[in-house]
Amino acid sequence: MLSASGPLTLGYRGVPVVRNVSFEVAPGDVLAVVGHNGSGKSTLVKTLLGMLPPIAGAIDWPAGRPATIAYLGQRTEFDTRFPVRLRDLAEMGAWRDLGFTGRIDAAGRARIADAMDRTGTADIADMPIQTLSAGQLQRALFARTIVQDAPLILLDEPFTAVDQATEADLLTLIDDWSAEGRATVLVLHDLSAVLQHCTSALLLGRGTARFGAPQATLTPANLVELGYLSPGQVAWQETMYRNVGPEAAGHSGV
Amino acid sequence: MFEWLEYEFMIRALAATSVLSFSIAPVGAFLVLRRLALAGEAMAHAIVPGIVIGFVIAGLSVTTMIVGGLGAGITVAVLSSLLARFTIIREDAGLASLYLIALALGIFILSASGSAVPLKSFLFGSILGIDDETLILIGGTAMITLISFALILRPLIASTIDPVFYESQTKRPGLVVQLFMFLVVLNLLGAFKALGTLMAVGLMILPATAARYWVSTLTGYLILTFAFAFASCWFGLIISYYAPNVPSGPAIVLVAGGFFVVSLLLAPQGLGFMRRRTSEPRAAAPATSHPPQSTIPTIKEKTQ
Repeated sequence: MLSASGPLTLGYRGVPVVRNVSFEVAPGDVLAVVGHNGSGKSTLVKTLLGMLPPIAGAIDWPAGRPATIAYLGQRTEFDTRFPVRLRDLAEMGAWRDLGFTGRIDAAGRARIADAMDRTGTADIADMPIQTLSAGQLQRALFARTIVQDAPLILLDEPFTAVDQATEADLLTLIDDWSAEGRATVLVLHDLSAVLQHCTSALLLGRGTARFGAPQATLTPANLVELGYLSPGQVAWQETMYRNVGPEAAGHSGV
Repeated sequence: MFEWLEYEFMIRALAATSVLSFSIAPVGAFLVLRRLALAGEAMAHAIVPGIVIGFVIAGLSVTTMIVGGLGAGITVAVLSSLLARFTIIREDAGLASLYLIALALGIFILSASGSAVPLKSFLFGSILGIDDETLILIGGTAMITLISFALILRPLIASTIDPVFYESQTKRPGLVVQLFMFLVVLNLLGAFKALGTLMAVGLMILPATAARYWVSTLTGYLILTFAFAFASCWFGLIISYYAPNVPSGPAIVLVAGGFFVVSLLLAPQGLGFMRRRTSEPRAAAPATSHPPQSTIPTIKEKTQ
């Protein structure tokens, strides 16, 4: 569905940020992108969205350019004070198909209602977004993503500002998307979530990249070598591996 | 008491500003929502030399005013974005530098050419100045603005709330912003005769900031912004009628300023002396409180 033909070099205006990036995403895959700050995660996201051409190599798109991506970005540029209700935010997912003045039909409204049910936001649909908590807002944005009904979903650090209960609920939605045959690419820092919910991992760091199954890619050796963990953190990490490892292996054996 | 209704110049001024309120209100509302209120102010000053040069060449013709004003506005907008891109100066500083030069240049040319128009009414507006051409200009401005808004409302909302999401959804994300800035300049030109170049932006911004204190839906916001703009024009013009030495621009903008102060004091999202909003349980503020930060989402997660 989405793959890099040959190793990619990504960067801005000819200055490489990361080399040797290769990956493959099939329908139903959940690809985790992990890396230290400045490792090229945001560069990769912009490249996947088609806003930035790769310096070397090319990305094979499913149907031409990335028209079919549902994107949920980081919160930094989001304006939470805009006077709209949560419902309007979820509706934005359907705007692209409506053209300039089209109205949302019954099927569209049903899709929006369903998305708010699945994200647990139906009860607060009429709240202005400025009164929402960080977790409620993120649920609303997941509802918008569901409404977009895209075969490929790209999430950039979706759990940064939310509590663990919300993160768990939202991860369940990602599992559902996988079962529906949608592919998800998500940037995140929670390694245990990667091991439990993702089918593949792309580790970026120190200007290079590793791709493969989460178990094989996010090894302590790789994490240290690509600058994600310091050697001192690895012991703790290995304990965690022993605890969640088998379950994750069973889960990702699709 | 209503003798001002017997004068044609008053009826013209009232008609012109009433129609103008319809188009200037949504433009001002989105300037405020997009955090471009000061950019609007700068743009209002930036178009002055264009208008002045047009005036000096061809007299008080609406056509030359539009050509000159749009030309100057677009030039400053393009130059300031080029400055931001290729030099170390940021966009706001570049825009400020350029509009100050433009404003000074405009007044310089106007004074040096020994023009017939008194500087006061040029800067601050005059209720006597609304001729047929100006009425047509305002009518056309309102029509173009409202049709454009019907078409670009969704992209405008999406790009304001979540610019990165919007960018991911469209091939030419800059288009909607450029069209919006064009509407800003067009409405400033429409407002120029009645309010003057220095005051025109006041009618754009103040009703919008005043209304923002009261509402939490976009529809309500646009309606209330229009109502404040409309009322400011009528009361301002009547004040200007009874105080002939007061130009209409400051009178209208002062009334709008009055709406702002009253809204600030009374409205639920202002200082909230009328009644505090109860949509989210909030820890009791200390007695010596600052304004309640009602627009900042609480971090505490509500159980669902």
